[in-house]
Amino acid sequence: MIRKEVSDSQLVSLYKKGDEVAFEKLVEKHKSRVFTTIYLIVKDQYTAEDLMQDSFIKAVNTIKSGRYNEEGKFLPWLLRIAHNLAIDHFRKAKRYPTIVMEDGSNVFNTLEFSEDSIESMQIKKDTHALLRKLIQELPESQKEVLIMRHYMQMSFQEIADATDVSINTALGRMRYALINLRKKMQQTNIAYDQNFYRK
Amino acid sequence: MTKTFTENDLLRYAYGETSETENVEIENALVCDQGLQEAYSDLSNALSLLDNGMVQPGEASVQNIIEYSRSFNLPSVLK
Repeated sequence: MIRKEVSDSQLVSLYKKGDEVAFEKLVEKHKSRVFTTIYLIVKDQYTAEDLMQDSFIKAVNTIKSGRYNEEGKFLPWLLRIAHNLAIDHFRKAKRYPTIVMEDGSNVFNTLEFSEDSIESMQIKKDTHALLRKLIQELPESQKEVLIMRHYMQMSFQEIADATDVSINTALGRMRYALINLRKKMQQTNIAYDQNFYRK
Repeated sequence: MTKTFTENDLLRYAYGETSETENVEIENALVCDQGLQEAYSDLSNALSLLDNGMVQPGEASVQNIIEYSRSFNLPSVLK
């Protein structure tokens, strides 16, 4: 049997008509991307949890009050809200965050490793946590492009417009971000899965 | 003659930002250029790695969001 996935636009339309299940599907579908985007900026799981809730609550308020007018572009809209809240958090705190040690077991325990052995689960957990730490350590301009392109799904042209640079600069920053990540991964002693990353 | 592509082109291709014409040209080039194949393979692996870095929020936060949405419709919330 072929099951066609319901689009965000259709889910938002259903939600506008009072279908709460449609909203739950939207949350389930996008919670990870929204949370990751915020988490990579604020570097703190508890703050990220709060800001993710605030992001969805803003979305609820906007949709339920009839002010939502971006049908078909729900995720980019939601991610912009999340990104703005994360950036505002910094402005209010008037500081850039310090590196937070990865002791947040609540976050990482929820990662799905259903078919793995305990040992491979631990390796993956370590690798994923390391990756997030390395992303956070990238130069700000590279981290910004990486988050916007990969997690917020903005196009390179949209990123160029948003950050006031040329598209080639945005592309170059992304390339350097990936190169730096690879170098840093190679420099660490942590065992990493060759299936995840060659070379 | 096969067109030469830069790493920026490959990046745009990997993210689906190239035109139909560019897609055909890049795919033709990938068939006959081993260096380009390796560069694209490295890029694909790097992007897959980023997907593996996604984190899940706690279930309590998700439930709070869903409860908030449900309560929005209750008469006591409406003003």
